[in-house]
Amino acid sequence: MNKLKLLAVLCLSVLVSACAGNKVSYGDATAVETTTTGFGSTDLQSIAAKMVDDVLAFPPIVQMTAQRRPVVFVDRIKNKTTEHIDTESITDSIQTKLLQSGKFRFVDMTAVKQIQEQLNFQSDSGLVDPSKAVAFGKQTGAEFMLYGNMSSIVKRNSDTKDVYYKFTMKMVNLETGIMEWAGEKEIRKTGSKSFLAL
Amino acid sequence: MTKAHILKAALLGAVLALSGCAVNETATVTTNSAGEQSGVIVSNSGFLSANLRIADTKTGKAGDLMRVQATIENKSRNDASFQYKFKWLDKDGFEVSVGGRPWQPLTITAYESKAVQAVAPNASATTFQVLVQD
Repeated sequence: MNKLKLLAVLCLSVLVSACAGNKVSYGDATAVETTTTGFGSTDLQSIAAKMVDDVLAFPPIVQMTAQRRPVVFVDRIKNKTTEHIDTESITDSIQTKLLQSGKFRFVDMTAVKQIQEQLNFQSDSGLVDPSKAVAFGKQTGAEFMLYGNMSSIVKRNSDTKDVYYKFTMKMVNLETGIMEWAGEKEIRKTGSKSFLAL
Repeated sequence: MTKAHILKAALLGAVLALSGCAVNETATVTTNSAGEQSGVIVSNSGFLSANLRIADTKTGKAGDLMRVQATIENKSRNDASFQYKFKWLDKDGFEVSVGGRPWQPLTITAYESKAVQAVAPNASATTFQVLVQD
């Protein structure tokens, strides 16, 4: 009888462990994500989409980019929320989309050091044919600067949490100091405890 | 098992059954640069196809980029929460910047219409689609 019990327990445990295996699946990277009220991929993607649409549809910018592709540099987005947010990831998305639109060109300030090292190597190492080395002092200066702010208001009571994000982005003409464009995206997210509190 | 336990289990069962019913539906509207609506595909019966309608689509130009607007109408007397996405195709039917636009959440109150807008990712896009799913 005891043996039978042991066998039953063994069978059951095998069954349970078989069910409790790790399951990994791929999902849609552009799907709406609502795991928590924290800043998430959907927020990042909607901010980037809204900013890019705004820039590309703004009449003075349409006029300005009709004949030429202005050179822009992206400064950072100040994160004034209480969360840790990788704002460079947001500006990267915006920069990529703007570049792919064929309307703007960018200078990458995050690669300045590496570019300088490469130029030094070409001119100083003695390994590069001087006639084929890239010349110093020929880089293009940016005409515009993109920068912005991100802030949040968080409110909560015993069972509801409300988060409001505001993302502001501005484009300034570096020569005149005139702000050529500004765009804003607001996001509201509300999280509440489920009825059964499971 | 007490009565409260049974009630809780029954409620849980009901919730699971309800959430299990949620189907993913996609409604697609295709409009080309000339503004001709080349086809409205609405999936089988369900919440979205019964309650939502793409009331109007407009296309314009922002420079050489296509600019579009789709007006979505909620025909029901309840709020409708769903997701929408724009898709862009070039003149040969190739999708432009695949996966470039995210699904975006939207809520429309009863009998209200809301317009959603987008600008094409680059000048090669000539046709757009609005996809709606719950």
